[in-house]
Amino acid sequence: MNNTHTGQNMIGLSLFEPRNDSKEYGQLAFMLIFLIILITPCSSQAAKLPEGLTWLTNNASPEWSSAQAEKGGLVRLNISSFPPTLRTVGPDSNNSFRSFLLDNQLPLVEMHPNSGEIIPVLASHWAYDDDRKTVYYKIKPHARWSDGKPITADDFIFALKFNRSKSIVAPWYNKHYSEEVVDIIKYDPLTIAVIGARAKPQQDLHYYYSIQPRAKHFHQLDKNWVNRYNWKIEPNSGAYQVGKIRKGKSIEFLRKTNWWAQEDRYLRHRFNADQVLVKVVRDPNTAFKYFERGELDIFNLTLPKLWHEKSNSPMFQKGFIHKLSFYNQTEQSASGLFLNLENKKLQDINVRKAIAHGLNFNKIIKQLLRNDYQRLPSFHTGYGDYSNTDIKPLSFDLTKVSELLNKSNWKEKDSRGIRIKGKQRLSFNLSYGNKLHEAQIIVLAEEAKKAGIELKPQYLESTSFYKNVIEKKHDIAWLGWSTGFRPAYWQHFHSDNAHKPQTNNITNFANKEVDGLINQYRLSTDEQERIHLAHTIEKRIADESIFIPSTMVPFTRAGFWRWLKLPESIATKSSKSLFDPFNPTTGGLFWIDAKVKIDSLSAKRSGNGFESSSVINTDYKN
Amino acid sequence: MSHSPTLEFVLGLAMHRQIRSPWQKFKQLKRGYFSLLILAGLIVLSCFAELIFNSKALLVSYQDELYWPIFSDSIEGKQFGLDYEYETNYRQLKKTWQMDSSNHNNFVILPLVPFNPTEVDLLDGLYPPHAPSIENQHYLGTDTIGRDVLVRLVYGFRIAIFFAITLLIVEYLVGVFIGCFMGFLGGAFDLFFQRIIEVWSNIPFLYIVMIMSSLITPGFWSLVLIMALFGWMSMTWYMRSASYKEANRDYVLAAKMMGASNFRIIYKHIIPNSISTIITFIPFSVAGGITALTALDFLSFGLPAPAPSWGELLKQGVDNLDYPWIISSVVISLSFVLMLVTFIGEAIREIFDPKHKVYYE
Amino acid sequence: MLGYILRRLLLVIPTFIGITIVVFTLTRMVPGGPIERMMTAYQMANQQQSSHHSIAGNTLSEDQLQQLKQYYGFDKPIIESYFEWLGKLIDFDLGQSTRYYEPVWDTIKERLPISIFYGVCTLIITYLIAIPLGIYKALKHGEAEDFATSIIVFLGYAIPNYIVAIALLYTFSFHFELFPMGGFSSDDFDYLPWQDQVWDILEHATLPLIAYISGSFAVMTFMVKNALLDNLSAQYVQTAISKGMTFKQAVFRHALRNSLIPLATHFGNNISVILMGSFLIETIFNIDGFGLLGYESLIERDYPVVMGILVISALLTLIGNILSDICVALADPRIRFGASNA
Repeated sequence: MNNTHTGQNMIGLSLFEPRNDSKEYGQLAFMLIFLIILITPCSSQAAKLPEGLTWLTNNASPEWSSAQAEKGGLVRLNISSFPPTLRTVGPDSNNSFRSFLLDNQLPLVEMHPNSGEIIPVLASHWAYDDDRKTVYYKIKPHARWSDGKPITADDFIFALKFNRSKSIVAPWYNKHYSEEVVDIIKYDPLTIAVIGARAKPQQDLHYYYSIQPRAKHFHQLDKNWVNRYNWKIEPNSGAYQVGKIRKGKSIEFLRKTNWWAQEDRYLRHRFNADQVLVKVVRDPNTAFKYFERGELDIFNLTLPKLWHEKSNSPMFQKGFIHKLSFYNQTEQSASGLFLNLENKKLQDINVRKAIAHGLNFNKIIKQLLRNDYQRLPSFHTGYGDYSNTDIKPLSFDLTKVSELLNKSNWKEKDSRGIRIKGKQRLSFNLSYGNKLHEAQIIVLAEEAKKAGIELKPQYLESTSFYKNVIEKKHDIAWLGWSTGFRPAYWQHFHSDNAHKPQTNNITNFANKEVDGLINQYRLSTDEQERIHLAHTIEKRIADESIFIPSTMVPFTRAGFWRWLKLPESIATKSSKSLFDPFNPTTGGLFWIDAKVKIDSLSAKRSGNGFESSSVINTDYKN
Repeated sequence: MSHSPTLEFVLGLAMHRQIRSPWQKFKQLKRGYFSLLILAGLIVLSCFAELIFNSKALLVSYQDELYWPIFSDSIEGKQFGLDYEYETNYRQLKKTWQMDSSNHNNFVILPLVPFNPTEVDLLDGLYPPHAPSIENQHYLGTDTIGRDVLVRLVYGFRIAIFFAITLLIVEYLVGVFIGCFMGFLGGAFDLFFQRIIEVWSNIPFLYIVMIMSSLITPGFWSLVLIMALFGWMSMTWYMRSASYKEANRDYVLAAKMMGASNFRIIYKHIIPNSISTIITFIPFSVAGGITALTALDFLSFGLPAPAPSWGELLKQGVDNLDYPWIISSVVISLSFVLMLVTFIGEAIREIFDPKHKVYYE
Repeated sequence: MLGYILRRLLLVIPTFIGITIVVFTLTRMVPGGPIERMMTAYQMANQQQSSHHSIAGNTLSEDQLQQLKQYYGFDKPIIESYFEWLGKLIDFDLGQSTRYYEPVWDTIKERLPISIFYGVCTLIITYLIAIPLGIYKALKHGEAEDFATSIIVFLGYAIPNYIVAIALLYTFSFHFELFPMGGFSSDDFDYLPWQDQVWDILEHATLPLIAYISGSFAVMTFMVKNALLDNLSAQYVQTAISKGMTFKQAVFRHALRNSLIPLATHFGNNISVILMGSFLIETIFNIDGFGLLGYESLIERDYPVVMGILVISALLTLIGNILSDICVALADPRIRFGASNA
């Protein structure tokens, strides 16, 4: 089909797709066999495990669920729009509903949500190869798909083929599973090896080259895959499976009665509710009303207005609904202002620094966000040891702005108080693609005027905005990147990606020395060295003031009806939500106390109340 | 009388042949007449909005020297003995001087409502939106960011009304010009434009505006242009019929025989004969323009933030029903203005309608 | 007359092609099609997503972009793909939604009952109000009753229906909590007994219907009133009265019939209104109708649906126009076709 197709991909395909038609096409088959023998001499059917592997497992880390948890009951959540598809890959699969599905597809191993140690999930044991690219896994023999079929090595090999297939119309997956994950090898039905492209520190291999199995017996990969599997319920390995779907209204998840992993360490006493009903409520105000009426059990109260103002209603005061805020330590989205170095005025570092000092984030945090949110310190925040915690964001300081601008000869002011240099005005377009940020941007622009800097807000509808940014047509753009597991510098700051469209280096930052550091960071397999490099690069980038960090939310908080119970420790260090129903590491910790529910409902009917409860947990506050 | 001289002039000029009677008649239609007076008053008022609704002071007297901040370049705080180099905060300055008992000579005169439309007023210990309060001088409260609702209504009105008028002028110029030629020349020219109009008027207008405004960040003029692009048809169609009828009249034929050019005939005969009808269309076009701009802003396809706009306020109001002052002020003002325009329109129709009846289509 | 209708029908074709080609071209020119939407979803921070599933956010190669373009049919020149689209249309194939991955027609079909419900109700109630009110106003022309009702009619005329919708929503749903905040029916609709189902729909429909009607009844009322006044002052009514018919008889036997002609001309235009509704009202009341579908598909860059809706609305308007003319002819034998196109 495509002659630019890499040989690597060809090998992958011919390896894992045994041809049945070889007799009829003798010549072709001969050539194929020849190719396979020539290029991949080790691809015999029964690959042999290397000698001397050290198989590791972990049964010693503390569990974070509660043994008191009881099974049963119903919990109702809301999402704002009905998912366009039940596929987890392919067009439009990346919607807010997808995590409900993906979380029920267990990974081989996970990281302990508090300590970060590797813990078994689908795999019982793992081992590292000396090449630092390969990890061996033993799949738990009792692992089952939701239809009862065992999960085997073939499902992993199929997963690779699946993720590389053009039929799924997911080029990011195609790319990742061709360029990053080189191969998966089956040794016996329950033993596999995953081979990555580059050497990494041991622990990181699990993340960089992670792969979830796909039920081989379920998928038929062809041109119509995208359409055919739109509303099909894919077999999964997690505790729940999709039940009744009411299109446009709700999707139900049912707990598997005899889930294969329900007695496994780290997974037991979790995923307790029998039924999880995800309701579509488009308007957040309406959703909150439903919540207060008891038609939803849980409501996210992150927005300051919700936590401080709206949650003073009778149901909260009478103690039917409890409030809980929990500080966590998770990777934060790199959100803030990106200064495009293609703009002549922004090439001057004094101007960039002046802008950074001219942005009054403190005022926003204090007067719009009610001191709940915090200033984001740097691009990669919350990445554990990898984050450089010495970096402090530049604060609002008009004297410094003045000094910096005077240094670069932006001395005069025009009639509106904006700095000028000759005929140039110190004025920039500040584009954004999310209306939620508008209030903050307007306050920032008002404050920046005091510094003699004009920021003209420019709203573009989100897809147009993305296109504009990715083609680097912006002056300054306000956006946030999705997070990863380790800092990713190459895509955002390497000169390979500067000054060309369709790449993520949207500041067009290009610096030989930083390039070198980034290359080192990418190639290094030594964790300590990588951490050191990450700190150095992070500092260099912060010094350049090409990215001005905005705010972050260092906690998760929710309101919930009083019959929902949580373990004593409430949640974990890396919990992004208190009542996540399915997440393999942090989800499913709550349970429903049936007795409390009955009492509460009768109390509600008779007009009685309980003591109100509003808790802020700071165990993991920095 | 206090009615706007410009409007009388325009009406008078337009009806040079019937100069007395229509205006006299219009004055007798009290409802339309008073509506016109009120609307004209509002427009004039909005033109001088900077004097009444402004964060800058009208007059500052400092160390026996007078300053007129509204009429001058931005004056830094340093000038008045404050410790900052940016535009003076006059509200604060006034408070400081009032509190200071040693101060006798310095004073600040603020406009009636001391806020500008993009200014965010964050009060200590309170979070926006602020409820209406005389003490804070937010007479209609603030929006969700903390900008004064009244001030934004006034400036938004100014933008909306001038937008509607500009749009109307552009549409009418194009419509009259093409329409006259279509009716007058007929033939292929007429047929060609007939088809274009048919196609054009069937394209969902809001769709196109939405597509266009995601193509470019719209400004005042580009929005006028985009909307005019889809609004010129009705006037064109009307002028086509009018000139079609006129073209076959004796006097036009006579003028043609005498060698008058097409352009001259259109200019001298056809347009004057249609002017009364064109005028009756005006109020309805204005109402249409205001409504359309508000709808676009409501859907955030209109003027970019932070431009004061009624549609944007409306959106905020709908999203935040808990703060009734936002939604009620904008709905009431919008309804009021549109009622005024409709009353004027009805009155104008009545004076030009020989049957003295009201038509609405 | 048949010849005239045929000629008009034939003219629909070039006009239809003109309309669709303009919109088709425009949708191609817009920055940020489905591909960009997909990329945005992959790269930008999204509060609701857990991070450990995100694939390293690298950008795509030319080759992969090309593959996506091909999937969405953006790889061919505009004209070529337009004619491809047109060809499919002749087979009644509107293509496939790039948002729901199902045939466009299915997506549209799902919304039809809701839109037709509102359209038909609006139309019937509008006529039920406008005709009697118009007659009443004409009979009481210039009197206090006429003046008093004028105020309501003016309000309806001057204030756009979406403003009415917002005012209603705030007053009756939010403040007094008399009606639901929006939607076509309740969440538990399926579990209700049928009496409650009817009640539920009525409860949800009341406010949107008032908003819809407020926009259209004013124009109609005035049309009826003016036409009736015209006819009442006409010679034949005067003659009838002078021949001993009562005023009432004159009105209802002679004048009224002729006064309904303008309503007939209006009827054709209403056909497209029935279906298309107002997406502003649908947005405000969160009704999953046709208008909202069109609006959302435009926002979400679901161009096949955009085009599908355009096809239906354009055909309805064009045919509606022809129907209007035929209605006029049926109602008024004096009008003949083809005499003048002025």
